[in-house]
Amino acid sequence: MLVLTACARQATPATPAVLTIDRAEAVQADWLSGAVPSTGWTPVTLMDYWNTRWPQHDGVVWYRVHWNQTNADTPVGILLEYVCMADAVYVNGSLIHRDPQLVEPLSRSWVAPQYFTIDKPLLHAGDNTLLVRVSGLASYQPGFGKVQLGNPEAVHALYQHNLRWRYGIRQFDFAISAVLGSLFGMFWLLRRKDTVYGWYALSTIFGAGYGWNYVADSPWPFTTTDAWQAFNVAMFVALACSFIVFLLRFCGRRWPRTEGILLLATVAAFAVALLAPGVMGPWRNLWVIPTVVLYYVAIAVFLWYATRSSRIDVRVLAASMLLPVLASMYDLSLYLELVRGTTFLGELTSPVSLLGMSFAVAWRFSEAMRRVEGFNVELRHEVDAATAQLGDTLTREHQLALANTRIGERLNLVRDLHDGFGGSLLGAIATLENPQRPPEPARVVSTLKELRDDLRLVIDTTTHEHDSDLAGLLAPLRHRWSQRLDVADIDSCWQLEGLDGLHLGPARSLDLLRLLQEALTNVLKHSHASRVEITVRRSNAQLSIEVRDNGSGFDLAAARDSHQVGGAGLASLRTRADRLGSELVLDASPDRGVTLRLNVHLQAAR
Amino acid sequence: MELPESGIDLSPTLIVEDNGPMQQRLRRLLTDLIGADAQITAVDSIAAAKAQLGENATSMALIDIGLPDGNGIDLIAWLHVHHPQVTTVVISAWGHEDTVLAALRAGAIGYLLKEREDIELSLALQSIRRGGAPIDPTIARGILALLQLPTEPATTVASGTVVATARPPDHALSDRESEILKLVARGYSNRDIAELTTLSRFTIEGYTKSIYRKLAVRSRTAAVFEAKALGLLH
Repeated sequence: MLVLTACARQATPATPAVLTIDRAEAVQADWLSGAVPSTGWTPVTLMDYWNTRWPQHDGVVWYRVHWNQTNADTPVGILLEYVCMADAVYVNGSLIHRDPQLVEPLSRSWVAPQYFTIDKPLLHAGDNTLLVRVSGLASYQPGFGKVQLGNPEAVHALYQHNLRWRYGIRQFDFAISAVLGSLFGMFWLLRRKDTVYGWYALSTIFGAGYGWNYVADSPWPFTTTDAWQAFNVAMFVALACSFIVFLLRFCGRRWPRTEGILLLATVAAFAVALLAPGVMGPWRNLWVIPTVVLYYVAIAVFLWYATRSSRIDVRVLAASMLLPVLASMYDLSLYLELVRGTTFLGELTSPVSLLGMSFAVAWRFSEAMRRVEGFNVELRHEVDAATAQLGDTLTREHQLALANTRIGERLNLVRDLHDGFGGSLLGAIATLENPQRPPEPARVVSTLKELRDDLRLVIDTTTHEHDSDLAGLLAPLRHRWSQRLDVADIDSCWQLEGLDGLHLGPARSLDLLRLLQEALTNVLKHSHASRVEITVRRSNAQLSIEVRDNGSGFDLAAARDSHQVGGAGLASLRTRADRLGSELVLDASPDRGVTLRLNVHLQAAR
Repeated sequence: MELPESGIDLSPTLIVEDNGPMQQRLRRLLTDLIGADAQITAVDSIAAAKAQLGENATSMALIDIGLPDGNGIDLIAWLHVHHPQVTTVVISAWGHEDTVLAALRAGAIGYLLKEREDIELSLALQSIRRGGAPIDPTIARGILALLQLPTEPATTVASGTVVATARPPDHALSDRESEILKLVARGYSNRDIAELTTLSRFTIEGYTKSIYRKLAVRSRTAAVFEAKALGLLH
């Protein structure tokens, strides 16, 4: 019958060089079974899961396959599609392969197909026997898949194909998950605020941990398959929970209560996996099925959300999940043995979904960058505008400060006016109002004229101080007084030296002009002189001022004692000299004229 | 160079001044100078002044700035065009520099400052009668600034060269004139200047008047030029 089948298979034109065998015999044995049992063989159809027949059997099951080799001169290639968990392989009674661990912790040969090449003398012409000793646990789909044999090249090509799609792609998934997880984990580490990256990284890393199940060839670091499986289930729970939180964050949602429950479930899964692996492993479906349901619900809700969202990243993420969802439904059926097969589709679609998800997250990242760049441009515009405004403000403030300085100078001058002109005015009023000595009109006129002359000095100083040096300020005074003295038949002789470019400042200039004017007024009114010499000379840092007349003079001591007119005039001159930072030297005696002298230090002036 | 101006008759004089005491003060000063038979008419507005000028011959007009119906400078300018034979003198109060300069450019050949002593005003009027014109350092500075001449003391030849190259000859001040202007600006009295330049004091007063005339000429030429530029004249 086997031969018939084999012949029938060989007759198939698609694979003439390869024989697929799906008939075998099986027998139970214990963990340490060494010899091939001679009795108890049961015919089975490959692919065979023995837990469907012997639901409680943990240990060894021997599978025996016969084939008829018409020509033993060419080698033959043998492909074992699926062996779960660990195995030893015998051909015609000779061992050709043995996994490192045939008892717990079991080697995990189920992750990959196995290939062997057999040649003479092992290979006989005629009937050959392939014996596979499989160690497995009833809870974890123990069993033996179809056997394919024939032309080594053709069978090896099949093996390569199987290996690539079952094992290679899982390795690729694992690696890509680890890389993406680390990458987005780094993003999150450097930018804690963007928790969506953190959750994506976490779910991807849990995904990698879960995916290790399809790649690892031993349960290390666990000592039992139960512990391994329990931990793997916990990984799956963690993956689903973190993925759900990621979806929430991706949609900009934050559901603390739901997230708390998810966290609790994850912690519980890990706790049970570590504390009671013997229970959790065999009963893993109690965890897996609710988790899968939750996962599907979350994805369904997300897909529903995506259909209503206009965000491109949300749509891409939804599209990238649609295909894997369909695939995982198939895988679930496979897992629950609703359909038979050796290849889960998840491993085929998971790179698609990984890439889709990373695209969505990266899109989000680039959107953020675009926003930042846009913001930068906007910011630059605003900074430019603010800088210009600030510049304007500073210019205005600078001009204002300059204006304030000028106003300050003016205020000082106004204060001097109060002291000087205002004081003279009030003094004049007091004198004129004195009831004891009603003033004669000539005196009133004289007082008013003094005020007028003072006002003229004030006007000249305030109008021209800023654009004129001392020489320029003295010119009107000189001109005016030359004429007055001339009319009064007094020769005036002016010596003005070194005054070009000299600026004393408005207040001091005014003091100097007033002092000269008062001195000349005294000469005009009281001296009876025929000649007056006025000298203002600058030598280095000193300004010497001298007014000398050849008039009648007076007795200095007498003038000091009596508070006569001359005495009052002298007091005023002394005050002005004080304000200039100088001392007035007066040289006077009867019939020898009056000489008035003072030296002003220009350093002090500045 | 000899005195270019002949004397001016102070009678008949028209006083255009709205302040009563100032009117009387000027009248008194003029009477003191000329005698009791002086023909002096006083009015207090531009309209009255124009009416008076139309009716009676006038040799000299003393014109205040702030008049009830207008600005005295406008009247001076009007006189300069319609009665060029009338000698106009502006009466100014405090802060006189800009006012006096404007009046001189409008055609006045002298100014009287209200703040000055009677004797000083009298001297100024005498100077005008002799064919001269009063001046003081502030006005001299203003004219120098107007003509963009340096106020620094410089030799006659050097500054004359500058003037000759910078200005057309008919508008330019002569070397003497600019020299005198600079000396006045530095405060020298006419007597001092006479000593420095070996000219008579009266000659110096004549130069001053000539300077004022040039200011007015210059400003009228400028006015014609500006009018042409604006298309008002062809």
